[in-house]
Amino acid sequence: MREFIVTTLNGLTLGGLYFLVAAGFTLVFGLMRIVNLAHGSLYLSGAYLGWSIGNATGNWLLAVIGAALCVAAAGLLLQQGLLRRIQGQDLREALVTIGVSIVVADLLLAFYGGQNYEIAAPDIISGGTYLGIAGLTYPTIRLLTLGIALLVGIALWFLLRHTRLGMIIRAGIDDRAMVSAAGINVQLVFAIVFALGALLAGLAGVIGATNLSVQPGDDSLYLLYSLTVVIIGGMGSVGGAAIGALLVGLVQQYGLAYIPTYSVLITFAMMILVLAIRPQGIAGRRA
Amino acid sequence: MMPARMLRLALPIIIALFLLAFPLFASVFFVVQIGIQSLFLGIVALSLVFLAGYGGMVSLAQVALYGAAGYVLAILTITYNQPWYVGVVAGLAGSTLLAVIFALISVRTQGIYFLMITLAEAMFVFYYADQDRIFTNGHTGINGVTPPAVGPLVLADPTTFYYMVLIVAVLTYLGMRYLVRTPFGLALQGIRDNPQRMQSLGFNVPAHRIAAFTLAGFIAGIGGVLGVWYNGAISPGSIDLTRTINVLVIAVLGGLSYFEGAFVGAVFFTLITNFASSFTDRFNTVIGLAFLLVALFFPDGLIGLSRRIIQLTSRTTSGRGKGMAPPAPSSPVSASGDSAPTASGAGAEGK
Repeated sequence: MREFIVTTLNGLTLGGLYFLVAAGFTLVFGLMRIVNLAHGSLYLSGAYLGWSIGNATGNWLLAVIGAALCVAAAGLLLQQGLLRRIQGQDLREALVTIGVSIVVADLLLAFYGGQNYEIAAPDIISGGTYLGIAGLTYPTIRLLTLGIALLVGIALWFLLRHTRLGMIIRAGIDDRAMVSAAGINVQLVFAIVFALGALLAGLAGVIGATNLSVQPGDDSLYLLYSLTVVIIGGMGSVGGAAIGALLVGLVQQYGLAYIPTYSVLITFAMMILVLAIRPQGIAGRRA
Repeated sequence: MMPARMLRLALPIIIALFLLAFPLFASVFFVVQIGIQSLFLGIVALSLVFLAGYGGMVSLAQVALYGAAGYVLAILTITYNQPWYVGVVAGLAGSTLLAVIFALISVRTQGIYFLMITLAEAMFVFYYADQDRIFTNGHTGINGVTPPAVGPLVLADPTTFYYMVLIVAVLTYLGMRYLVRTPFGLALQGIRDNPQRMQSLGFNVPAHRIAAFTLAGFIAGIGGVLGVWYNGAISPGSIDLTRTINVLVIAVLGGLSYFEGAFVGAVFFTLITNFASSFTDRFNTVIGLAFLLVALFFPDGLIGLSRRIIQLTSRTTSGRGKGMAPPAPSSPVSASGDSAPTASGAGAEGK
């Protein structure tokens, strides 16, 4: 029972982290039809930058905010500098983001080397919290991760449902041409959404590196998680990303706890199952 | 005769002679590092070019299928001490079977969705190989695979191995060129251009796609067998995201719609990696930048670029008309995603 609760909590936490990474991916895909294969690189950059800032200033909050903002700026640069030139050609956009991911991974390896880094959490959150259930003490940072994911989820929901920008984004997901015909500056919205997607990836990077650690290869790992989460949840749907992330996180942790060698295959099997029953994903809509 | 036409007739002969004579004048380094490696990487890229250029399916699963054949071969010959031909047959069967499964999963999607799902499939193969201890031996992989001796032919000898790989590469290349002219190949191109219309004409679109993907899996498997013999080992590192992308880089460098491009791209790729790595550790950055350049400015790749140059020169030397090279097929990369039929068709399922 105790093990089950811990596994469930681990799954939820991991799901929260996956949601943070995948939300940006799915948002960018939904609005702009860009499969940003450099999304994992943005995550990795955020993690390393967070470590550097944290190491230099000793302030975790500064690391989180600084890294997220830097990565958002990098994402904006990527979108304005490269992707805007070939806007609307989805395959070429995907290829360009692949090229960027190769370069970024190599440069980060050159700068940070092959070792693991762990971002030090401040004292308040580095300990454990007594849960009061089955006498459990659970790491505070993981609970905080869950809280941040929840907060980001609510903020995104509010942004999409109750603001003018969100209204434009939702309209853009349905029909881009109509939105720009209505006199809205679509380019500005694209830039904001891409930067927001990158910001979430960078934020997730710092959170991930505080929870676990960061090393080369994490870019492809989190790219795979983002892909799986949005394929399962439905491409372009933030709510779907939340469901998908929770499913992937939980299934992975149960798999790891009960059948360790084949946990990857279980996640894969889940993806196949969802695709077989609902090719558009759980919350995806048919065209 | 027009110069351009003469060039087009003479070029295959010159290339054939060059490839045959290559081990006679080139050093062992060139034969092994550039020659053999370009050929088997070219075969894997060929399977991608076939899918992308003629089937409209940009698959990122080709390296995983390459790895499937390689792993089965290595496991059977090393772990279970089977003879090499058992390993080769089972390896090819393994990659073909996995390709059927992958195709069944991904074939209902198109364009960018297809790319995403095949990428996920490929990564799952990688992480499985990395996690599994019983068959794939985890992170270490399987070492000590040697090319066999078939009668008097000792494939461990670099020159013999080169000629063997060359023959296999030429056969797969010619086979592919033949295939795309058969009714099946034509139907596949029709499906690439307009799946709805082909469906209305009575063609079974998913069945054609599955057949094409399966065949491409078989070809990637051939590359896998040769690759494992070449490297003498296989590990998760041979099929990771970088390797997966490398094959895409090769195909895009050469030109995604040309079979020749697969090999041209492979030669450029091996040359860049070998020489860039001799003066900088950051050869992946060099490759990434080269890839970015091609993806941004020359979506038809090197072959497309050279054809355009030939077209231009033949136009200026012979006026207009006969001397021109055939019009280049449109690249799947340069096609606009929104206006192309692929994006508005069944591929929009995931919206």
